[in-house]
Amino acid sequence: MSTIAAPLSVAGTRSCGDPVRTQNVMAAAAIANIVKSSLGPVGLDKMLVDDIGDVTVTNDGATILKMLEVEHPAAKVLVELAQLQDEEVGDGTTSVVIIAAELLKNADELVKTKIHPTSIISGYRLACKEAVKYIQDNLTVTVESLGRPSLINTAKTTMSSKLIGADADFFSEMVVDAAQAIKTMNPRGNTIYPIKAINILKAHGRSARESVLVKGYALNCTVASQAMPKKILNAKIACLDFSLQKTKMKLGVQVLVTDPEKLEAIRARELDITKERLQKILATGVNVILCTGGIDDLCLKYFVEAGAMGVRRCKKADLKRIAKATGATFLTSLTNMDGEEVFEANMIGEAAEVIQEQICDDQLILIKGPAARTAASLILRGPTDAYCDEMERSAHDALCAVRRVLESGKLVPGGGAVEAALSIYLENFATTLSSREQLAIAAFAQSLLVIPKTLAVNAARDATDLVAKLRAYHNSSQTKVEHANLKWVGLDLTEGTLRDNLAAGVLEPAISKIKSLKFATEAAITILRIDDMIKLDPEQRGKSYEDACNAGELD
Amino acid sequence: MAPKAGGDAIKANSSVYKDKSKPTDIRLSNINAAKAVADAIRTSLGPRGMDKMIQAANGEVTITNDGATILKQMSVIHPAAKMLVELSRAQDIEAGDGTTSVVVIAGALLDSAEKLLQKGIHPTVISDGFQKALQLALQVVENMSTPVDLNNEDALLKAAATSLNSKVVSQHSTILAPIAVQAIRAVMEPIVSGVGARVDLRDVKVIERIGGTVEDAELIQGLVIPHRAANVNGPHRIEKAKVGLIQFCISPPKTDMDHNVIVSDYAAMDRVLKEERQYILNMVKQIKKAGCNVLLVQKSILRDALSDLAVHFLDKIKTMVIKDIEREDIEFVCKTLGCRPIASLDHFTAENLVNVDLVEEINEPGGKYIKMTGCGQGGRTVSVLVRGSSGAVVAEAARSLHDALCAVRCVARRPALLAGGGAPEAAAAASLARASLAAPGADHYCLRAYADALEVIPSTLAENAGLNPIETVTELRAAHAAGAGGGAGVNVRRGRVTDMRTEHVLQPLHVTASALALATETVRAILKIDDIINTMN
Repeated sequence: MSTIAAPLSVAGTRSCGDPVRTQNVMAAAAIANIVKSSLGPVGLDKMLVDDIGDVTVTNDGATILKMLEVEHPAAKVLVELAQLQDEEVGDGTTSVVIIAAELLKNADELVKTKIHPTSIISGYRLACKEAVKYIQDNLTVTVESLGRPSLINTAKTTMSSKLIGADADFFSEMVVDAAQAIKTMNPRGNTIYPIKAINILKAHGRSARESVLVKGYALNCTVASQAMPKKILNAKIACLDFSLQKTKMKLGVQVLVTDPEKLEAIRARELDITKERLQKILATGVNVILCTGGIDDLCLKYFVEAGAMGVRRCKKADLKRIAKATGATFLTSLTNMDGEEVFEANMIGEAAEVIQEQICDDQLILIKGPAARTAASLILRGPTDAYCDEMERSAHDALCAVRRVLESGKLVPGGGAVEAALSIYLENFATTLSSREQLAIAAFAQSLLVIPKTLAVNAARDATDLVAKLRAYHNSSQTKVEHANLKWVGLDLTEGTLRDNLAAGVLEPAISKIKSLKFATEAAITILRIDDMIKLDPEQRGKSYEDACNAGELD
Repeated sequence: MAPKAGGDAIKANSSVYKDKSKPTDIRLSNINAAKAVADAIRTSLGPRGMDKMIQAANGEVTITNDGATILKQMSVIHPAAKMLVELSRAQDIEAGDGTTSVVVIAGALLDSAEKLLQKGIHPTVISDGFQKALQLALQVVENMSTPVDLNNEDALLKAAATSLNSKVVSQHSTILAPIAVQAIRAVMEPIVSGVGARVDLRDVKVIERIGGTVEDAELIQGLVIPHRAANVNGPHRIEKAKVGLIQFCISPPKTDMDHNVIVSDYAAMDRVLKEERQYILNMVKQIKKAGCNVLLVQKSILRDALSDLAVHFLDKIKTMVIKDIEREDIEFVCKTLGCRPIASLDHFTAENLVNVDLVEEINEPGGKYIKMTGCGQGGRTVSVLVRGSSGAVVAEAARSLHDALCAVRCVARRPALLAGGGAPEAAAAASLARASLAAPGADHYCLRAYADALEVIPSTLAENAGLNPIETVTELRAAHAAGAGGGAGVNVRRGRVTDMRTEHVLQPLHVTASALALATETVRAILKIDDIINTMN
């Protein structure tokens, strides 16, 4: 091998070796530093202003990072990581980024003391595997043993770090009710909680405590005409995915008339086709028609005559859910298998009440008491738009957390308890190994402590003192059998002391902890393995041989 | 850059060439550029090799360990460097694995050639000498290989695992290696009255999906279509399905540009609307009559493959319909299901449909996809679903799996395995060094130089693993010189030289043989160049 590294000419810049790793780690640390201060119940929010001037105020790690437009490729890996955590778990997006960055920082320290990255990588992998096993075996409690209060507490723990933390009691009840309302079975017979089915509407005005949970479906539309009834009891609902407008001929069909009378006839016919459709529907006793397309003013007349409610331009996704909830058929066309247009009675969905209500400046249509299955909608109120947006995100996080608990049925204590317990366990585990992974596992254990440390720092407490005490408790819980119950001890950030977080009701879904550990380790390993970075110039035309010749790069 | 070749030792025929400074300059420039390429990817060789991060001109980031991918993305400029990129691609096509080693060997050979040139040996003589060395090396490598039985799954697993060990997914090699082996075994066709088996990698479809971790990768004996069914209210799961693949559209026919349907009467309007419904209905009825309950529709560019009305009817007859099957996928779909594409409605009959045990739409956070399993009449094809936590991880996992598939394919093509860990290169180097003592003239130097160059593989393996390369290579050389057996190689895990066969590190003979042959040929080509003429303006 040649020792003189000849300059490799590529159309871009290339950097390799340890500086690349350090640079990547720095970029990751920079990302983590941005979200660090928003971790935990006393974490603070960020105000983000985009290039149009829109303001977002948030505490959610994934949202902050998504809006940042990160350039550095390694930092992008972390942004993707937060996004993934958001999709897969829905909560814990900030902590996953902080853990990944800390793992990288400690790994970089080890690399600088001449430990090969692959040894660190295999150490991290082993540590992650052991940690996950330890959580599953020792640190989880089942929901059955705690009951509904545990669900409320999980929601509260998630919300405690958010804007709505002050009203956590109020909102956690609401969120748990909403999640339980949408319980369904999937075709394979498992119980699932599709939280996407919860419609979250925001209405700006009034205080946050006046948010309501509607047992039914709230639709952000109004009736098509003022003459229609605004309230219908025992509603019979039809969901249509086509418009009730004057029929138009397709492209390529030309209407050519020579006789003015025929013109009139054609015009009349255009209207009649729709009218006939409408009459077929109304004849079955339908009194609410929800439509994704438009409804012609001329058709409104028939609605008013029949005393039916018509709603136009509903969102397709909303309408599909309404159809499911009320038992209606979501119709894209009226045609039956004989090519005739009919509307049958079994296509009708039912609900106890459909009502148009005024909520702040908006009129909403509420479909209460759907017949086929329960539904839930949250109407969030808040003083500003930014406040409402953040409430929506917080409610989403809480819903995700509750759903994870309901689906997996396992909980872990929050407040840094799991991390502290793992760090003690892994450090002890590391000393039992005589291979070079030992140091890496110890580094992994150290990295996990970043969570309790950051929590304490954000709460303006003495982090060193608190974390030392926390570790002492967990150490005795793992070494002395009679102290085993101390494993639930975590931080109490309002008082600045330690307490039993299981009893205090600071709970998180176990799956969220496990997944965030796995994802953080995978991301850290991906970045650690990189020892060479090539950035190609963003130009359309590649550098030609002659250019390189002239620049003297080939000599 | 003037040649340092001088002194009295030069032969008469090379003194002529000495005066020409330009060819020497060109040659040196080429060698340097090619060596730079080899240097660039050297650190990603072996189980302790590192990855490269490449940001392409459009800002897209690739993180990879695969030599061919790195070089393809790097867009080097120098023409000689481009030859090495081509070399890596050739290895990728021929063997599919060992794309890093082939470039590293070529770089080392060029380095040795440079030293020979400085001694004043003529390039063509070096070139011929290297060719002789190659023949010898190939013989040595072939002799030390052990034949395998293709039914011996264990040996194939080892070859796949060795290939996967250098990748980011190495900790999942216990999951991916069996997948690779099973996939290849499912699609290979033994050559009648011959050795080995024929494997067409197009019969293994690798589908990438973000979400989950690499551990969730699965092998599916059937078909996976990575998008959702087109139905609105249709079924999501059909057992005992009858599947038809159509290449026509179920939507109203379009008139040509300059043709128009002219309506001059209101009754005609009704007829136009009704005819459209009837037209679609006829097609759907024919589909129903044939008994089809899963319909695959080829992607159509000119018009909607399915009109809303058609979806509505298909919902009504409880037929699952999947549209936008890519044109290039049709062949794979047909082979998997064992059906023929149906090009017109007239041929849509029961005998053109195929039975599939289960067709299922699977809903996941990352999106929906269709899975078809139990294709009784199907051909020998499989699909592999690769998962990962981010786009970069999934792409790298798919590339790694491709390498593992290729490694197994190489064994199928030429059923012989070698010990890994630089053992074959070290063995070849040892016997070349012995042979050089007996060879007279310039060949002596060439064989010697070739032997030295081959040692770059064990040396780089040791270097990447943080071992002392000099110590390791000399230990290895001693082991091979003592004739301790062909299996001695660099054991990265233990940090010393051991018999790699007991460590289960095995690689296909075809990969090593093709790497040596291709690298030597490229080096010979580069040595023969004495001028670059730039015709671009």
